[in-house]
This record gives sequence, C-alpha cells and structure tokens, in this order.
Amino acid sequence: MSDSNTTAPTLRPPTAKVPLFSIGRVWTIAGSTVTQLVRMKTFYFLLAFALVVVAVGNFNIPTTPAKELSMIKKVSFGTMDLFAWLFAIVSTALLIPRDLEDRTLYTILSKPVRRIEYLVGKLGGVLFVIAVSLLAMFAICAVMIYARESLFVGAELEAMQADSRYSQEEIAEQLSLIQMQGLRPELGVAVLASFLKASVVAAVTIFLSTFASSSLFTIIVSVLLFLIGHAHTMATNFWLHQTDSNLFVQMLVKIVKILIPNYQLFSFSEGVVQGEAINYVVVSQMGMLTGGYLVVFILLSLLVFVDKEF
Amino acid sequence: MKKILQKWSRLILVIAGLALFGFLREPIEDKLRVQLVESNLLLPPPGQTAMEQMSQSALMGTLGGLRSLVAVFLTLEAYEHFSNKDWEQLSQAYAVITNLEPRDEDHWVSWIWHIGINATANMEIDTRLPEFERKRRFYAYTLEAVKIAENGIKQLPKSAPIRMQLAEVYREKLKDNCATSRVYGDIIGLPGEMPFVRRFHGYFMARCDGKEQEAYDYLSALYREGERNHLPTLIVEIKKLEKFLNVPLPQRIPNPDPDKRPQPSSRNKPAPNQIPGGLVIP
Repeated sequence: MSDSNTTAPTLRPPTAKVPLFSIGRVWTIAGSTVTQLVRMKTFYFLLAFALVVVAVGNFNIPTTPAKELSMIKKVSFGTMDLFAWLFAIVSTALLIPRDLEDRTLYTILSKPVRRIEYLVGKLGGVLFVIAVSLLAMFAICAVMIYARESLFVGAELEAMQADSRYSQEEIAEQLSLIQMQGLRPELGVAVLASFLKASVVAAVTIFLSTFASSSLFTIIVSVLLFLIGHAHTMATNFWLHQTDSNLFVQMLVKIVKILIPNYQLFSFSEGVVQGEAINYVVVSQMGMLTGGYLVVFILLSLLVFVDKEF
Repeated sequence: MKKILQKWSRLILVIAGLALFGFLREPIEDKLRVQLVESNLLLPPPGQTAMEQMSQSALMGTLGGLRSLVAVFLTLEAYEHFSNKDWEQLSQAYAVITNLEPRDEDHWVSWIWHIGINATANMEIDTRLPEFERKRRFYAYTLEAVKIAENGIKQLPKSAPIRMQLAEVYREKLKDNCATSRVYGDIIGLPGEMPFVRRFHGYFMARCDGKEQEAYDYLSALYREGERNHLPTLIVEIKKLEKFLNVPLPQRIPNPDPDKRPQPSSRNKPAPNQIPGGLVIP
C-alpha cells in the first residue's frame, strides 16, 4: 500500500549527448597538467641553465670572438636540447602513474571525459611546459649571446679604427664574421627543432606509459629507444658493412628502423646553430612528420588505454 | 581466455599499427635525411675511427644527439692537452672533434695550428728530449699537419682558412717556397680570400727554383694593376727577378729599390727598447 503511494523519483531530463571530442575538456586537462608540472618545480632547471650559459660565456680560452660565440651557442643549444628530451621522457612517464597514485585518474575518468581527451590533454600539457621552458632558455641564451656579441663588435671596431691600415670594407667584413655567429633570428628554428624532437619523444613515452607497470620502466625503455633511435643510421652502416650486407642483418635493421623512431633526423638544430642556411621546406616537412608521429602514437596509446581497468 | 585473446589481439593491432606507420614513414624519413644532409643542417654519422677513439661518455653524448656539445667539451679537453704540451693526446682529441663536426673549419685550422706550429715549435726548444728525437718529432709533426690539412681540404674543398694554415706550415716549418706558393695560389678565387694572398703567391713563386720567369710575369702583371700594388716587397721581388732574368733596362720598373733608400738618421731611429707607439720597455 505504502509502496503504491510513494511517488516515483523524478528523473532528471536527459542531458545533452556528450560530444565525441571536446577541446574544452582537453584544455582543462592540459591546464591541470601544466599546474601539476609547475608544482614539481620544473622551472628551477632554468636557474641551472642560466649558470651553464654564464659559465660558458666566461671560458677563458684564447680564441677568436666568432669562435667564442659559436661555443656559447653550441653549449646553450645542446643543453636546451638535452633538457627538452629528458624532460619529455621523465615528465610524461610520471604523469599517468602520478594521477593513479593521487586517485585523480578515477575522478577524471568517472566524469564524461573520453580517454583520448585525457591522453591528448596530458600530452598537450607536457608540450606546453616544454615550449615555455625552451622559450625561456632561448631568451636567457639570447641575452648572453647579444651581450658578448656587442662587446666583441665594439672592441674589434675600436681596434680596427685605431689602425689606419684597415678600410671600411675590411672592417665591415671582419665585423660580419662575428655577427654571423651572433644572435640571429634563424636560431629560433634551432629551438623549434628541439621542440619537435621533444614532442616525438613525449608521444612515444606516453604510448609506453599506457602499458608500463612502473614509471621507472617507462623512463628506462624511453631512454633506450631514444639512444637506439639516434644510432639508427650509424648502426645500420656499421652492421651492413661488417656482415657484407647479410640478409638476416638487413631484416633486423629493417625491423629496428620500422619500429623505432629515427630521432637523429630531428637533430638538425646543430646545423642551424653552426650558421648553415635554413631550408624552410624541409623544416616544414619535419613539422608535418612530427604531427604524424603525434597522431599515430596518441592513437596507439588510446588502443591500449581505451579499456584499461584501474 | 576471452580476455587473454582480447589482450593479444590488441597487442597485435598495436604492433601492426607501429609497423604500418614505420613502413609509411621510412621512405619519407630517408628522403628528408638526404635533404637535411645536403643542406648541411644534419651531420653525416661520425666515422668508425672516431667511434673507436671516443670515450664512453662522449659516445653516449653523441648517441644522445649532442654532437656539438660533445665537440665543445672535447675542444676544452684539447686545450688542456695543449697547456700540458701533450701533443699526442691533443691530436687524438681533434681527430674525434673533426669527425664529430667535419664541416666546422675552425676545428681543422686549430688542429693544423696546434700540430704544425705549436708542437713543432715545442720540439725546437724542449731540452728534455735528445736533439735527434726532437728533430725526428719536428718533421713527424710537420708532416702530420700537412696530412691533417689535406684531409680538411677533402672535407671542405672551398676552405681558405685551412689552406692559409697549411701555407704557414710550409712557409715557417718546411721552408718549402714552391709548396707555399702553390697553396697560396689555390686560395685565389675561394670565398673569404684575403687581399694579400695573390701577392704572397707571387712572392713565394719568385723564391721557387725554376719558376722565376713565371713569377716575374705574374708579379709584373700585379704591378701593372695599379698603384695600390706598388708595395715595397713587390718592388723588391720584381727587382730581384729582373736582375736574375737579365731583363733589359727599358723594360724594368722605374721604382727605386726600397732596400737602397737612404736610411733614416740615427737621431730619428727608435731606441732598441722602443716599441711601436713610442712606448719604451724598461
């Protein structure tokens, strides 16, 4: 009787259908990832980087101004590159296990958030922090290069003008030698190269972390893949030469080349730093290749992650 | 069982996806690699010799895509070897550096300068070694420097600074006027050619036995180019050649011999301890 009298609970009207993919949700996850990484005191690395740049800028080696500027650039951009890929591996490897440990993952996935959105958001957050760090490091090293370049140009100009033997043309030629190794807008492409490499590394690491049992495993395997990916061409030439292009070795090399990304390709920042002319068509193709890597590895990660139970 | 099968099929799908992407990207990557190497943005892999000589840390750095960084640290290490006059170690360090960055001509120039000029100069004064050994090493280092320069020129065929350094080795250490002249001659027309190279080519040709007539024609042509080339050394060399080749008097250049100009009186002569600028060294 009483049962018949009780009114049935009023059901909420059906909510709007959850869209398959929402940029807003990705943005929120990326934002929280950035906060998470900033709280890990990531940007303290910049202090160490600044120290490295200042130290290398004050090496007391008897060399030409152009050579000293070249040395500052090489060390600065080498350190930037190192930071970018190392950070991409470590931070990406830590993110999913950290969410699992903090139980944030359960909260996120219990909401109408698709797993692809979660993965893209996480990767986006990591890439944003890497981009900001690279830009900050570029700014630090640009200040150092500009300061040294101005100093060298001033000193050289003064010395050459004091000597009446040098014509204006010779002075201009000498100064252009220094300025060629100084601060130039093309150096931005070197930063882009490091970013592209770090993006691919992060995408591969997020794929590994979807099925890895621990962060340590992900980090170790990612670093190994990174080293193998860099030694592709070297090892291929070496093995094929050593074994007279043995069929088995050829197949093995092919498998390695197919399964492991060719990271060496992304090291074109070295040429840019050395002052080589930039082929923008190739650089844009490298950008597209990076995009391909990101899409494919996110889809592969989704394939593993989509029905993973926690 | 169903779960295991599901898991395995997923794994197969992942591997298939990886392989498919690998097959698709391989030709693209190969093409991009060629383009990057051709535009000098990507360095070719280091040679086998460099790999064998590299320390473990340097090798790891190289594999980690940090070739430039490793090259810089090896340059610092080489400088330490230079400070300790450890020429063998220095040469080994530069062998790796030039393998890591074969297109950086500064490395080649420094290597030639260290071995061809510094090491040989050290052999002239290092009294810890017997004279015979010093002489032997002097020539060994000089020839090594020539070989390094030849390898550098193979890598960078249009490099003027490498040839300049090689010319210095021929000129100062081997005293080979013919080779010096030949190397200066090779620099003519290269990008970054210094203005004095054309004159130096002629000066050393004039001192090369059997090349006197050629040197006379060459230097006379330079002389006829204009007043800016009427420099004391050029005039002296032409006058020497005129005398040597018995050039008829009307065809000789009219300038007086700069060596036979009246010397400034001793009153105007700078004191022996006076350096240019009027500074006197106590």
